[in-house]
Amino acid sequence: MHFENNCTGVYKRSQSLNHGNQICFIIPEYMNKKIVERGSKKQKEQAWKNLILTEQLRGRRLVTGLMSSMFSVSNKLNRTIFDAEHKESLPGTLVRHEGGRPTGGTDVRESYDYSGATYKFFKEIFDRNSIDTRGMRLESTVHYGEDYNNAFWNGTQMVYGDGDGKIFQRFTKCIDVVGHELTHGVTQYEAALVYEGQAGALNESFSDVFGSLVKQYALNQTVDKADWLIGAGLLSRNVKGVALRSMKHPGTAYDDPTIGKDPQPGHMKDYVNTSNDNGGVHINSGIPNRAFYLTATELGGYSWEKAGKIWYITLRDRLSERSDFQRAANLTFEVAGSLYGKGGQEQNTVQKAWDQVGIKIKTKK
Amino acid sequence: MIIRVERSGGFAGLPTLIEIDTKHLPSKLVNVAKEIMLAEKSSTLPITKTPKGSGDYYSYKISIQDARNRRIIECNEFNIQDDLKLLIKYIERTSKKVG
Repeated sequence: MHFENNCTGVYKRSQSLNHGNQICFIIPEYMNKKIVERGSKKQKEQAWKNLILTEQLRGRRLVTGLMSSMFSVSNKLNRTIFDAEHKESLPGTLVRHEGGRPTGGTDVRESYDYSGATYKFFKEIFDRNSIDTRGMRLESTVHYGEDYNNAFWNGTQMVYGDGDGKIFQRFTKCIDVVGHELTHGVTQYEAALVYEGQAGALNESFSDVFGSLVKQYALNQTVDKADWLIGAGLLSRNVKGVALRSMKHPGTAYDDPTIGKDPQPGHMKDYVNTSNDNGGVHINSGIPNRAFYLTATELGGYSWEKAGKIWYITLRDRLSERSDFQRAANLTFEVAGSLYGKGGQEQNTVQKAWDQVGIKIKTKK
Repeated sequence: MIIRVERSGGFAGLPTLIEIDTKHLPSKLVNVAKEIMLAEKSSTLPITKTPKGSGDYYSYKISIQDARNRRIIECNEFNIQDDLKLLIKYIERTSKKVG
């Protein structure tokens, strides 16, 4: 009876989505995934549709960007570095590929090495195979524009400027910057947090969190040894500041006559309402950043072991496009309970951390 | 005409503000600015969508005005129109930021 009801219910749904598809979804998820990897072209297409539909029925996020990588799965790190030669045309000239000779200057080497370190972190700690879980090639372009004081992720690749030398140094210099940009890709393929308002600030925060963890992992740092700074060493010597952001003490990273004072809040009472910066995504990220810092340092050890795992599972499995801070707090609390036991030290620590930044956990009883 | 360029976002999240009188611009760019100010609003809308999943890009709020007209354009470095990009790049390179 249960089987028939499920089959009928799903069939009706599948009619509206697949225009007459006759298949009843009794095929388990793991089997659909195997078909995606090994089936014929037609079988792969149907299996992907099944996976997308079952994801929808379970209320999970839509799987994005699947079709383009549908037929390419690799379990190996694959990197390509391009040189934009100070123009703004992407991707530029190929200067280094995976396993190729270490040609090119410092920027090329850094973007190659640090994207490799980011891949290694996600693979070894979370068993994640690149940005899309399917071995997506990591593409980077260096020397973008002239005196370009920025780095960004454009939905497909990372892009790095050289900095103007007056305020910023080259943006490939810091491993956490590279980790930050790549994590935008991970978020894109998981929760797909919209880049505005609180969802956008969460998007930024997850990039800072995992950018910092990539750095800590590379340096084998425990929570007490980590500096919890984002972009330390990126500012030129002319600027009064230690980094662009501080997860430990938001609002203290810099205070300079030219670039102003670090505007990040560390508590909801100081939340910044603005229309700039897509609703302050780089500003209000200070609040969830501090919540992570407090969680990680209270739990101790290596930050990726528990706090990082809680945050990663939340991003991968629970958050949705328009999740706000309250939702993120509630979900990290739930995930902590699922992973380590309800009422345990880990869950209590997550609750306390969010409370300290002004967000009370609200859960269903 | 007065052109005001507010830039926000970027990895560092540092906002900048530039205001310039077009009398300080080359005549070619003055004409570009005037055309943009007087154009139909639809022609100055972003030419492409912001790529899904992208992050840390610059966002712009640009106003061009004279005694009788005012045009405000909001865009980012992915979807800014070519003429406007040319104008903004010149202004950013040659002007002293006020914020």
